[in-house]
This record gives sequence, C-alpha cells and structure tokens, in this order.
Amino acid sequence: MTTLIVALAVGAILFGVGLYGALSQTNLVMIMMGVEVILGGALVNLVAFWRFLHPEAYSGQMFVLIVMTVMALDMAVGFGVATGRFRARGSIEMEEARDLKG
Amino acid sequence: MLQTVFTGLFGLAAIWFAVVVFRTSSMVRSALALLFSQAAIGAMFLAMQTEFLGVLQLTMMATEMAIMAIFMVMYMMDPGGLGGMDMTHQKRASQVSGALGGLAALAVAFFVGWGPIAAEVRPGEQVRGLGLEIMERSMLIFETAGVTILTAMIAATAIAIKRRGKE
Repeated sequence: MTTLIVALAVGAILFGVGLYGALSQTNLVMIMMGVEVILGGALVNLVAFWRFLHPEAYSGQMFVLIVMTVMALDMAVGFGVATGRFRARGSIEMEEARDLKG
Repeated sequence: MLQTVFTGLFGLAAIWFAVVVFRTSSMVRSALALLFSQAAIGAMFLAMQTEFLGVLQLTMMATEMAIMAIFMVMYMMDPGGLGGMDMTHQKRASQVSGALGGLAALAVAFFVGWGPIAAEVRPGEQVRGLGLEIMERSMLIFETAGVTILTAMIAATAIAIKRRGKE
C-alpha cells in the first residue's frame, strides 16, 4: 500500500508543478513543457494503478501507451504551431498572440 | 520496502527536476531538467516492476527532449538566460492554481480506500500480456493511435511549411 501511496503522491505533486508551469509561462515551448510534466504525473498514476491494483488487466498498460502517444502528438503539433507562428510573427510569445481572439 | 524506497527516491528526483524546469532562466538547462524528470519517471516505472513501459519511457523521452532543446534554442529570444528576461505572467494565480490542483490530487491519493494490493507480475508475463492486449482486444485503439500520429505529422508539417508568395 505504501508504494502505491508514494507513487500517487509523486503523480499529484507533478500535476501541481506542471499546472503552475503551464499557466505561468509566456512562451509556447515552455507551456508545452508544463503540459508534459502534467502528463508525466498522469503516467505515474496510471502505472501505479495498473501494478498495484489490477496487474491482470493489461488495458492499464495500453492506457499508458495512449498517453505516451498523446505526449508525442502534443510535441509534434505544438512545434508545428510554434514554427508557423515564428514564421508569421518572429516570436512565439503567447502575450503577443492576443490577436488570435475572435 | 526496497521498492518503496526506490520509487520514492526516483519520485523526488522527478519532482525536483520538474521544479527546476520552471526555475532556471537557461532554456537548454530547462530542457535538460525536463529530460531528467521524465527519465526519473521511467526509473520509477522500473522500480514498480513495469519494465517494458519503463524502458519505453526512457528511450522516448530522451529523443523527445533532445528535439525540444533544439527548438528552444531556435525560437527563444534569450536561450542562454543571460539577459535575465522574465518569461512568466499571472504568477500569483498560477501558484494558487498549481498548489490547489496538487493538494486536491494529494487528498485523493491519501484519503481514498484503494483496496487490496495485487501480487507481483513477472516481466515475461507482462510483455506477453501486453502483446496479446495490443494484438487482440485493443487492436483498434492501437491502430487508431497510429493513424492519429500520421495525421498529426502531416498536420504539423502543413502548419509549419512556408507558404507560397509569403516571403
């Protein structure tokens, strides 16, 4: 039980740190780093749930693989947007992206 | 007991490096800190006897963060952090949101009754079980993930490509 609680606590703190990072940073790449930390916390929780509660259900590991895919997609699309934005405006500062508002 | 100690140690490393990501002003250090944080998460997986996912996490994050470091140096106004630029906003609200989110998740971890702890699974069984899961029950999900990655690659390239006539 202790290891499960330790892992869940680590996941929870990583979520908090990532949330702070995603909300506080002005740069698109740094915001993506915050999201990566949040997803890292989610991964820790998923693995802990699979290992300590339901190791017979491999859909738990499958869920981890899907979250890893989401992390890769987040990076790919995020960098695509960053490159497009940099070409258009010469900066990826989100403070300067208010003109995206409808 | 040893498993708890190693999970905790790697967990502390993951948290420490995650904090460093947002504390340092050098973007390269920031990317490396995120790499170490994700690597520590991979080591946690290994400590929790999830060998396949642990190795996958380590290899995937090593390449992902190396690419991220290149992008950061390319696009940041002050990649070395020597200019002392402040690249944060809404600090107070972010700190409160982060603390509240983290505390709420911690409360769930500590106060929910999680039930009995399952017996350990051997590594060989794990790889076989995951292989069967991917190739049988979750095949459609796995295939969908593959197609989604392909779509995202094409979309990202289409967004990033230089448009004709817009020099």
